[in-house]
Amino acid sequence: MTSEATETTDASDAAGTAGATETAGSAVTAGAGARATGVATATESPAADTSLRGRSSGVVQAVGRRPADIRRRPWESLAIFVVFAVSYSVLGHWLVVDLHVVGFETLDRWARALMVSTNDPPKLAAVGFDLPPLSVLFLAPFAVVPALTKTLAVVPVVSAVFAGFTMVTVNTMMRRAQVVIAVRLAVLAALGLNPLVVMYASTGGRSFLWLALVLAALGAIFAWYVTADIRFVMVAGVAFAVATLAGYGSLVWFLVSLVLVAVILARLGADGTEVEGTTVGLASPTVYVVALWSAFNLAILGAPFHWVTESSDVGTSGGVSDLSFLEILRGTGELVLDGAPIAIVVLPALLFTGVARRNGFALWLGILLLVTILTPGVAVLVHLTDSPLTMDNALPMLLVSVVGAVWLARSTVQGPGLVAAALAAGLALSIPWTFSSMETFRHQGLERAFHDAITTGETQEGTRTLDGSYVGYGLEQEVADYISDHVDGRGSVLTDNASTYAVVLLTGAPELFLDRVDRSDDDWAEAAEAPADHVDYLLLSTDTARDALSRRYPEAAAGDDLVLEQVFANDRYVLVKVPDDYRYGDQLPDDLDADGNGVLDSEESADPDGALDEGGVGGVVGEGPADSTDSTADEQSGGTP
Amino acid sequence: MSGTATRSVPRLSDGVENELGHALPEGICRTFRVMPYAHHQGRILVAVTDAEDAIAEHVVAERLDRPVVLVRHTAHEISDVIDQAYPPVEAEVESPQARRARMQMTRMLTRSGLVTSAQMQRAMLEYSRTGDPLGDILVSHGSISEDVLVAALSEMHQLQRVGLVGFEPDYDIARRLPEKTVRTLQAIPVAETEGEVLVAVARPLSPADAREVEDLLGQPFRQLLANRSDLDQLIQRIHSHHYVDVSTRFLKDNFPERSAHVVVTPAQKALFLVAVVAVVVCAAFWPTATATAVIGAGTLLYLFVALYRVRLTLHALGARLETDVTDEEIAALDERNLPVYTILVPLYREAAIVPRLIRDIDALDYPRTRLDVKLLCEADDLDTIDKIKELALPPHYHLVVVPDSQPKTKPKACNYGLQLATGSLTVIYDAEDRPDPDQLKKVLVAFERVTDDVVCVQAKLNYYNQDQNLLTSWFANEYSMQFELVLPAMGASESPIPLGGSSNHFKTHVLREIGAWDPYNVTEDADLGIRLHREGYRTALVDSTTLEEANSQVGNWVRQRSRWNKGYFQTWLVHMRHPFQLLRQTGLKGFVSFNLTMATALVLLMNPIFWALTSAYLLTEWSVIEAVYPAPVFYASSLMLVVGNFVFVYLNVAGSLQRGEFGLTRTALLSPIYWGLMSYAAWRGFIQLFTNPFYWEKTEHGIDEAPAP
Repeated sequence: MTSEATETTDASDAAGTAGATETAGSAVTAGAGARATGVATATESPAADTSLRGRSSGVVQAVGRRPADIRRRPWESLAIFVVFAVSYSVLGHWLVVDLHVVGFETLDRWARALMVSTNDPPKLAAVGFDLPPLSVLFLAPFAVVPALTKTLAVVPVVSAVFAGFTMVTVNTMMRRAQVVIAVRLAVLAALGLNPLVVMYASTGGRSFLWLALVLAALGAIFAWYVTADIRFVMVAGVAFAVATLAGYGSLVWFLVSLVLVAVILARLGADGTEVEGTTVGLASPTVYVVALWSAFNLAILGAPFHWVTESSDVGTSGGVSDLSFLEILRGTGELVLDGAPIAIVVLPALLFTGVARRNGFALWLGILLLVTILTPGVAVLVHLTDSPLTMDNALPMLLVSVVGAVWLARSTVQGPGLVAAALAAGLALSIPWTFSSMETFRHQGLERAFHDAITTGETQEGTRTLDGSYVGYGLEQEVADYISDHVDGRGSVLTDNASTYAVVLLTGAPELFLDRVDRSDDDWAEAAEAPADHVDYLLLSTDTARDALSRRYPEAAAGDDLVLEQVFANDRYVLVKVPDDYRYGDQLPDDLDADGNGVLDSEESADPDGALDEGGVGGVVGEGPADSTDSTADEQSGGTP
Repeated sequence: MSGTATRSVPRLSDGVENELGHALPEGICRTFRVMPYAHHQGRILVAVTDAEDAIAEHVVAERLDRPVVLVRHTAHEISDVIDQAYPPVEAEVESPQARRARMQMTRMLTRSGLVTSAQMQRAMLEYSRTGDPLGDILVSHGSISEDVLVAALSEMHQLQRVGLVGFEPDYDIARRLPEKTVRTLQAIPVAETEGEVLVAVARPLSPADAREVEDLLGQPFRQLLANRSDLDQLIQRIHSHHYVDVSTRFLKDNFPERSAHVVVTPAQKALFLVAVVAVVVCAAFWPTATATAVIGAGTLLYLFVALYRVRLTLHALGARLETDVTDEEIAALDERNLPVYTILVPLYREAAIVPRLIRDIDALDYPRTRLDVKLLCEADDLDTIDKIKELALPPHYHLVVVPDSQPKTKPKACNYGLQLATGSLTVIYDAEDRPDPDQLKKVLVAFERVTDDVVCVQAKLNYYNQDQNLLTSWFANEYSMQFELVLPAMGASESPIPLGGSSNHFKTHVLREIGAWDPYNVTEDADLGIRLHREGYRTALVDSTTLEEANSQVGNWVRQRSRWNKGYFQTWLVHMRHPFQLLRQTGLKGFVSFNLTMATALVLLMNPIFWALTSAYLLTEWSVIEAVYPAPVFYASSLMLVVGNFVFVYLNVAGSLQRGEFGLTRTALLSPIYWGLMSYAAWRGFIQLFTNPFYWEKTEHGIDEAPAP
């Protein structure tokens, strides 16, 4: 569909397909020719107007036939996938298992996945409503072997797999741009070694889960634009839908792409029916998943947009939400400069190519990159972000910049090799720059821990992030080991998994716990009221603000309860034994009334269902909106405060 | 611009310029005895035997890109040069006698004014391509009637004519020749007189055929030329009992295990009874566990059917699986070698759409002289029969009246017509079908390209009235998915394909060998696809579409769909009589594919039950429902509810997009409502399986609001 790009074919792809050099514009012309032939034939028949060719007359996309495209190279794709997925997995194992560089949000998601897969009973409700559901469900198949989750060996694998998939997508885009294999490999290597990419691909974060799918969607639209093949619209539609449920931020790219497809078709002269049908094909999967997820929120939580307003992706702007406009601008500039410096060159080049050379796709990619750059700042302004101006926001900028540069390579008069080589060089040069920034960048999660782990090769257990959060999971591991060694009864440890998820995960045995996912919240509350009837132990967090059970038993959490004997404790957790005849209130804490209702704070008292509904359905939140963000606060900080 | 010259120009004896040697196709050179041979003063010189032949001049001038000059030469000179340019193939070159006869026919018809120059030119051109008898071509074009041609042939061959309209035959005499001889030679004894038998023939018999007839009769005979259509009617009348017998009993008698004349075998009855009793007993003792098991099995079936469909669709979206035939390949076909193609069109109470049907068959790009169109009517459908007679169709259209007998089904009518078929390939079209004009030629090319075990080529089906209302749009969505995605993938994976009800092109002899259609199966098309596969044959998909009329009225649609579902159950029961035999014949992949394909009918039955369960739970949160959904069943059910349903919806969107039917994508999103209708029809068909298994729910055609022009 481009008329502006005049490409030459490199040796490797020329053998693959001559069609690779064909612009979509020429594909459309060819299609019109074929149709003209068909119409000429059909006019011999009075019924000709109803034939497919007659009916598809005027359609600008390739339908009912396969336009020329690059030849499939499954072995090349597989090799790239395996190299990157395995490399990131191995590196990730060293970082996560040996050096303890892992975010608590990641442990939270894995704990939920474990409960979906192997809890007693397995509960889909463990997914919860505060995270995009697929960010947990993608992990569930990997969590069926508790031994692997217990050791965290599987944690880096999933992000590595999605990162490998991303690299395959980028490579396919470069093939469609006729970049020779040597340059393609150079670009992939430079991108794959980018420290931001390495960190998020190997430490189990969820960024790549949705970014891989967004890239797949962009790759499909790239292919659609090149070949005019309607199939790619469907691929993009499905990819965007899945991406949306893996990361709500995908919706931004989806909306921009939807507009692009409609505008391009209209520019090419497609009639309203074709524009409408194509956009329906692109949009319907995403609209469906959004509607479905909203319906679930409505049915279970009574708030259809709970996933927007109360999810962990939003509302945690915290202190930085008070940033002034100028500070946001400055933060945005720092993100681009430190995280995705190639965007500084790619963005103006795309906009210039788009406007001056009337290259529609370049203009769209330019707009997309601009939106990607501005989104973190806008999210802070409207309080819709889980990671305000933190360094992970640079990752989408980097990837979209790469896509933009690949298109520039395809569109250049001099041939794709030069621009692609420049891209590889730019990416390579930015590696030390970005790596250095990770140590000092103002708003960040585990970047400094990652930097230090790489440079020193030493465990980061017990170190602090820039904002003072704790790095590592050694304390959780201690409790988990004690429970694994001393507890064997199913459901014998009562706990608020919203606070103790890491311990649950590290035991690898969620069935040992009576948590808020197992049954209903009423059942859990009943067990908390009369624990001796249900369990042998209480696992409490020492941070009573974050743990519904600790708030009910503050003295036990502090190790001061005379009846509930402490059997294990460290700085963050207390495990107490429940006597056989123990009833709640045997030792009445000062801040509780005789009915025990005092365990709820004033806000929860006003809404007696509030605390329990969230935990019972969502499984792991357990608290009101303010508390529900705890796990994501961990994510941005990289550890527990 | 053209002219003639007879002097002062180069002669053919000077040689033919290289670039002109093949400037005209061989057929035209030989038919019109013309040969372009030199450039002269900006014109092309063309050697002809008659420089005043206006038809030859027009034909040549149309095909050469410069003005032509006709230069008179002898026939011998021209023939020699043509033979040099196109070395003759003995079987393809017209003999001198044949040429003389053709010229005689031409002169007779043109001089008598029965044929215009334009009609003769058109016929001659077709003759140059096909080599078929000129008289037959003129009749097939409607330029002259069959009676005129018979009169001309009678004159040329000095044979008497006989009129068979209203003729009351002597059956004993008429049956003195075996049916097969009668059918293949188009010759039937009509009387005996003075020691010789009078035999009505469509065309003068060759000496060899005449000897065969005499041997069979055991006495001399005399040929009487008859109108082909009348002769055809007489043959049907004489042998109708035989045809009826074969069409209703052949499969049942020769392959009883493949016939649906018994719906459920005793062994199957016993098995189903045991299963039902087992479920009831288990339900009495372990109600929750039994319910869980039943729901789990249903969910598993849903899951497998959905996964299979998704796999097929992804396969089809990822690659071009249909057999593509280009315009160039079609143009390269040598029409002299085209086989006779039989087209079977079952009709029942469809008099109104017969003219439209004739128009659409006439639009096919195939020599009409090589078409054998059987319009299959039931004896009690006098309106349709009268309508066909009223149209006085050329003799390549055959009115076939199927005598009234049970079962009165479309497959029985097709079997009846198949016995009269003369084509080596046979296709079935419905009355309202509009095949792509080049479909027959595409199928020929497809047959040449695929492996020998492919004996059936299925064309795609879709609807021309898809925009008529919501129902027709849904129907078009469904067919787009089925024929653009699912069936091509099944064909490519060599799975047994349930054929569509129309536009299946068969190798005729194979179709006859395996017993053709099962007259007792109400989805005889699907059943035939499976039987072909069991016999080791394969079906391919060709990228050519036949547009049909989608049912636009709910009642009519439900009747049609309930029949389809009943037929699916029938087909499943027939082929699962001996599951291990089926497994051995189709292989595991084919076995699984067959069962998952047929299971779609079962899924439609289950839908309302699961919808009711889900709705009841959402409204009441009844703990009993929750109890019968343990985690694995719940997860699978949730997956099907949340993902599976949308996948099916989106497959409809994908099929429509793939076909370029952009206006249908909106209605595809509403297809869950359509599923409700489908389930209703499925239950109706299921109940009818027990109450009226062989009843053919007739689909009324020709009710679209916007009739074609």
